[in-house]
Amino acid sequence: MKTLIIIPAYNEEGSIAGVIRDIRRHTPEADIIVVNDGSTDRTEQIAEADGAKVLTLPYNVGIGGGMQTGYLYAQRMGYDIAVQMDADGQHPAEELPKLIAKAKDYDLVIGSRYVETTSYRSSRLRRIGMVFFSGLVSLVTGQRFTDTTSGFRAAGRKVIELYADYYPMDYPEVESIVYLKRKGCRITEVATEMHDRQAGKSSITPWKSVYYMIKVTLAVLMSAIRYDRTAVSKP
Amino acid sequence: MMIYVLSVVLAFLFLLLVLELVRRQKLKEQYSLLWILFSAVLFIVSFNVSFIEWIAARLGVKYAPAILFLFGLLFCFAFILHLTIVVTRLTAQVLRLTQELTILKEREALHGQND
Repeated sequence: MKTLIIIPAYNEEGSIAGVIRDIRRHTPEADIIVVNDGSTDRTEQIAEADGAKVLTLPYNVGIGGGMQTGYLYAQRMGYDIAVQMDADGQHPAEELPKLIAKAKDYDLVIGSRYVETTSYRSSRLRRIGMVFFSGLVSLVTGQRFTDTTSGFRAAGRKVIELYADYYPMDYPEVESIVYLKRKGCRITEVATEMHDRQAGKSSITPWKSVYYMIKVTLAVLMSAIRYDRTAVSKP
Repeated sequence: MMIYVLSVVLAFLFLLLVLELVRRQKLKEQYSLLWILFSAVLFIVSFNVSFIEWIAARLGVKYAPAILFLFGLLFCFAFILHLTIVVTRLTAQVLRLTQELTILKEREALHGQND
């Protein structure tokens, strides 16, 4: 099974080297691609020095466009499994084998903080948002999800193709689950530990989180009622 | 009556401006067609005061020139909506181009190493 680890990175020079080293230690057989989304710091040089392949976008396209570049690469290069992982050290590499093993039986495996009790703790506001989105997605898809905002995921070939074709531009995690369910993908969650970020700071500010809630809710509802044109042409 | 005179003058000037922009290739013909249609309608309507008053009476509008503004405004909304649709499409196209270019660049670098 050809496996690719996709790490989208925007100004992550402080943590990228550690993340790459951890991946090497726990899944030496997997290839690593860092999608450098127009960083203005030394992210590209550091990732290359650590032996990772780097795709450098000429300007900052945002998390959705960056992540899709990784999936597009996985699709073109014929990878069977693509794992997406944050560059800030939130997602521990020791959980990778667990995700990759499950990805043989499912189209998408989501690393969840909440399936079982893990040591992850977050602010109350953040928890409310997560409970809201879990409820919304569970309602719309008819499948129970505990951690819809998790960006720690392993995708099989079917999902690689679908994500290369369409991926939401910003705040993509929640909507991309609904999109896959609509396309008839089998999705599961596994319990994974998550760390606090090791360097840099979260991009979510209070105003942005209001926009985030509204935008994602609209996107999820629209995705749920969208007429599926491609399903007719692609069996 | 002043508003109708003003409206005729503005419609005429606007039509000239659109045609001049097309002549200088600052505006694509496909987009100019809508603007030409708009100024032509505005032109005709401004000349036929009785037509405006007839519509106003039908719709129960007491101040007839308000009809001119109403249609002008509605046209603007429709055109702006059209433009945001175009921008959405362009954004998607530019993103895909950027992604393709990025992947091509990486492959080219790989070839360079093998030579």
